Amino acid sequence: MRFALDEEQVALQRAARRLLERWSPSAAARDAMETERGYDDALWQRLAADLGVSALLVPEALGGLGLGPTALAPVMEEMGRALACAPLLSTVALGTNALLLGASAEQQARWLPGLASGERTATVAFDPLGDARRSEVRAVRDGGSWRLDGVVTQVLDGHTASLVVVAAEVAAEDALALFLVPGDAPGLARTALPTMDRTRRLARLELHGVSVPPADRLDGPLPGAAALRAVLDRARVALASEQVGLAERCLDMSVEHARTRVQFGRPIGSFQAIKHRCADMLVDVESARAASWYAAWAAEHAPDELATAAAMAKAWCSEACFRAAAECIQIHGGIGFTWEHDAHLAFKRARASLALFGAPANHRETIAHELGL
Amino acid sequence: MKILVAAKRVIDPDARIKLLPDGSGVDVQSVEYKVNPFCENAIEEALALKEEHDAEVVIVSIGPDDVTPTIRSGLAMGADRGIRVESEDAALDSDLVARILAGVFKHEGDVDIVLLGKQAVDGDNNQVGQLLAQYLELPQACFASEVKVSGGSATVTREVDGGLETLELPLPAVITADLRLNEPRYASLPGIMKAKRKPIDELSLADLGITDTALKVEVVRLEEPPARHAGVMVESVDQLIDKLVNVAKVL
Repeated sequence: MRFALDEEQVALQRAARRLLERWSPSAAARDAMETERGYDDALWQRLAADLGVSALLVPEALGGLGLGPTALAPVMEEMGRALACAPLLSTVALGTNALLLGASAEQQARWLPGLASGERTATVAFDPLGDARRSEVRAVRDGGSWRLDGVVTQVLDGHTASLVVVAAEVAAEDALALFLVPGDAPGLARTALPTMDRTRRLARLELHGVSVPPADRLDGPLPGAAALRAVLDRARVALASEQVGLAERCLDMSVEHARTRVQFGRPIGSFQAIKHRCADMLVDVESARAASWYAAWAAEHAPDELATAAAMAKAWCSEACFRAAAECIQIHGGIGFTWEHDAHLAFKRARASLALFGAPANHRETIAHELGL
Repeated sequence: MKILVAAKRVIDPDARIKLLPDGSGVDVQSVEYKVNPFCENAIEEALALKEEHDAEVVIVSIGPDDVTPTIRSGLAMGADRGIRVESEDAALDSDLVARILAGVFKHEGDVDIVLLGKQAVDGDNNQVGQLLAQYLELPQACFASEVKVSGGSATVTREVDGGLETLELPLPAVITADLRLNEPRYASLPGIMKAKRKPIDELSLADLGITDTALKVEVVRLEEPPARHAGVMVESVDQLIDKLVNVAKVL
């Protein structure tokens, strides 16, 4: 196993960093936070059309780059570092993966080119606790179509996604299935939720008799629940990478402040109390990166290890990122508590990401289960 | 039309660098390299000319194997192929680099424009473009802020003290890029993928017929700038004037 980024992945990461440094400084994130949709479409177009991140996982034959989760990981690190407001996690890690893992070749050919070009965004509506075995949405046969009813209380970018992959229980089959629902489908009510982390948006989706043609029930090789489980694992890996990037940003901000902030006639970084905190943050960042890279590698090369690796990465990176964001505020002292400083943006993103796609305790339970404990 | 673009990798200008203990150079252990910003302007201009005139853009860089990513980044932006001339950083100075580039120009045979950054942000020498033009006996336009090519000539606007100067040069010519020439494009992910498949030729100095590798410039020693002393806070304008007159003695 080669446990380092190759030249191409480094180039991907640099390209993403460069674009985000130019077009997504914290002022841009703050502007996006004030908007109803929660992101700047111009930035999304730059990321999707100019840089090509939305095409990263899509096969070359469908207009994509045909790369895997190991290529997405460094890009997600940069998204986290920049605190970027864009529907990348929802469109690529959830929506695109749902089509790649759960859809037939015909369904992929119909939907993936639009996602690759950035013309469409997508998300997946599933149980907010990240349980891939259950759903509050019911699907029943209604003549030649499917009829979907129910509520999904928290859907990532659910208020803006042009395509929603809805996980629904099919009572007649006693199984979960995935259905493609356009964002403007009749009977679909979408309500943006007030989120603590304004850099990332959630929405409540209510489905009142949403009609789905049979061709829009995902029927790839993996059955619905298995496909959803694999999608969530891949999304956890992508989110873990994002958390690594954010944790490293917190470390960098803290070290820079510790170097330049003078108290008692010397930089505060010369005090052991600060040094130890920074050293612990570095250990957190490095170990989190190792966990996230391993999970990305497993997603691409060892699917049998993915469930454990994704749970490990998400549990570890969540807590490492949260600690880094909390320490960042402490090291900055009073200024770290101000609205104008970016420390609180990082802290809120870290706290919200900790719970997204399942909390660390849930993941530790998964690991224990996978290990037969 | 064929455009040859020289690209140099430099230590990340935003990074804190350390000198070797004996002051003989910069400690390059664990440093991160980036493409020299002025070289990126040169690449961007070449690509803009390529789009307008259907030109072939060839990126050339000189150095050990780790300059290859510099060439690849130009290829990822849209250049067609690359050339790496094998050498070591310590075995180069502006004069030898200019002679090597002149050798590449002759080796390629039908180059219409050589584009370079006006200088590299590590050494800040600002010599290679001028020396290259002299060695090739070609017209040169340095510090270009606008380049237009039409027929067999280039019209170059350059920023000079107090205004702009516009030159017209018959091709082939040497042009060096200033920062305001353009805003370099981003390498897209598809571009990065395609760059993997674009050819990079490797040449030795012998391939270019260069046997005289003696350097004209010897770096004797590098030193850190002196540390800045803490300032003095004064409580009133009168105190400030007193300090300026009696301590700093600048008034």
